[in-house]
Amino acid sequence: MGTHEPTTDKILELRNLTIDFGGVRAVNDLTLAIAPGELIGLIGPNGAGKTTVFNLITNAYQATSGDILLEGKSIRGLSPDKICRRGISRTFQNIRLFPHMSAYENVELGLHAQPHYPLFESFVRLPRAARAEREAREKAHELLKLVNLEEHANATAGSLPYGLQRRLEIARAIAAAPKILLLDEPAAGMNEDECKDLVNLIRQIHQTLKFTIIMIEHHMAVVMDLCQGQRIYVLTLGSLLTYGGPAEIQSNPQVIKAYLGEKKDGRKKRVS
Amino acid sequence: MATRNMKKLAILLGILLATIVGFAFLIEFTGTGYFQNISILAGITLIAALGVAILTGYTGLFTIGHAGFMAAGAYMAAVLVKEAHLPLLFAIIGGGAFAGFTSFIIGYPAFRSRLRGDYFAIATLGFAEAIRLLLNNVKTIGSIKIGGSYGYMDIPTLNTLSWSWLPQDGWAAVIVVLLFALATFAMTHMFVTSQYGKNCIAVSQDEVAAQMMGVDLLRTKMLALFISAFFAGVAGGLMAFYYGYLTPGFFLITRSSDLLAAVVFGGMQSIIGPTITSVVLVAVPEILRTFAEYRLIVYGLFFVIVMVFRPQGLLGYVEMNFDFVRRFWRREPSTATGK
Repeated sequence: MGTHEPTTDKILELRNLTIDFGGVRAVNDLTLAIAPGELIGLIGPNGAGKTTVFNLITNAYQATSGDILLEGKSIRGLSPDKICRRGISRTFQNIRLFPHMSAYENVELGLHAQPHYPLFESFVRLPRAARAEREAREKAHELLKLVNLEEHANATAGSLPYGLQRRLEIARAIAAAPKILLLDEPAAGMNEDECKDLVNLIRQIHQTLKFTIIMIEHHMAVVMDLCQGQRIYVLTLGSLLTYGGPAEIQSNPQVIKAYLGEKKDGRKKRVS
Repeated sequence: MATRNMKKLAILLGILLATIVGFAFLIEFTGTGYFQNISILAGITLIAALGVAILTGYTGLFTIGHAGFMAAGAYMAAVLVKEAHLPLLFAIIGGGAFAGFTSFIIGYPAFRSRLRGDYFAIATLGFAEAIRLLLNNVKTIGSIKIGGSYGYMDIPTLNTLSWSWLPQDGWAAVIVVLLFALATFAMTHMFVTSQYGKNCIAVSQDEVAAQMMGVDLLRTKMLALFISAFFAGVAGGLMAFYYGYLTPGFFLITRSSDLLAAVVFGGMQSIIGPTITSVVLVAVPEILRTFAEYRLIVYGLFFVIVMVFRPQGLLGYVEMNFDFVRRFWRREPSTATGK
């Protein structure tokens, strides 16, 4: 693990990934590789194509060319549900919970997108089905405890405050037992304190539960904090600008230029 | 709060009392025969409406074509009894299964091409009309005379069932239909609270998120359609054995829209809502026979009012939950999140 791309042990690999929307090339020839257990930051100015990369990985958008390999096998063109079952699960930039379901039902859904018993038993609730239901409920409550939402387990997801909805989305994504977790702006709209809690949560998920994580984030403090000793990829206008550790990225003049534009008035500008 | 439990209990008892009094009046003033007929029709409508509830209420797919599945189930059940000489009960289940498999013909292409909302509803409408017109124009299939527009005659009725435990003089049919309705009700409740059912609910609330969480959209939707068509087919079979004959005219678009109306009025993601409304929507026009012609006008008005003031339906998102009865009994406080 470190600031260099892995050469042998790769869990996810993007090869020359490209997508065109009409005449606009949203992602251009993106190549990157990630080893198991890494926590990768993906940053870039608005419209750089970060979320599009997630949408390509989960096949919400179909790539124009290039390939996506999960553990060495191409997953390009598989339907999103199959990709999820292969082990990639995600959260959304604009929260997409099931608003009328309770918090715990939301998490539970991640557990049993593939039901654990045959259809027939759903009508006559045999002991096996009842047990599967109970296990799912317990697991869901465990995950809610992890993200500190236990007391809101029965609240309707849509009625939760914004910050809690984000945590709930993370719990739901973990419930699918992914190999790779894609977090799309988990800190969006959070204040300092909430950000700190979030950093601790993500660190816990990464270090204790050993998930491989790719995270899109605009909150530089969050990214720089979490990606210590890890890699950060910088996208701009759909292309990979550079990658490296937090310190490298912060002092890279190209990155500063991408975020803030050309220096014209001679004043010193910094990425904070 | 205990008072909240008490209020709920009072409402429940009130509804039960009103129902019993209503039935008593009905029997008193109109005779048992009339009451029996209304019960049977209400039971049949309820079974089909619960099917629509699974598809529309829980999976979010609007249908105006369930009369088509009823027709498929009805004719198949009748054929199974008349030609294959199966017992009535097996024929009813067989008709349901046939209707369920018929649903794949429309379901697979529609869901494959991601038809949604109004477009799917129109597809089901077209499918139901196609079935009706087919039945209208086909007089014989091989040696089986289904009669075309003249109707399929001489189907044995439920009242000819000669089981010793069934009472005679009309009550046999009532009991059989109500048992079927009860079973359907229980199965629907089991299904929507199962992992399969929760996947359906997730699809109705956010299709994209559901798919990203690993829910197979095509399978989930086909399953919901299959089950709802199965129930409609069973309802159709019961209808065949209640009337003793079938004509394609039984399965007009108004029957489909009645079922949809029951679910939309009753409420999305609710079983108890459509149960109440489907019984009311059968009973009221029957009792107020004289005004039956104006039914559709009143429906239209109702639709608009419900959509404006309560778009989720009268009991939308209200789950059946009799927990409060137990809580009242033990004088426990009601849950904070109880609806």
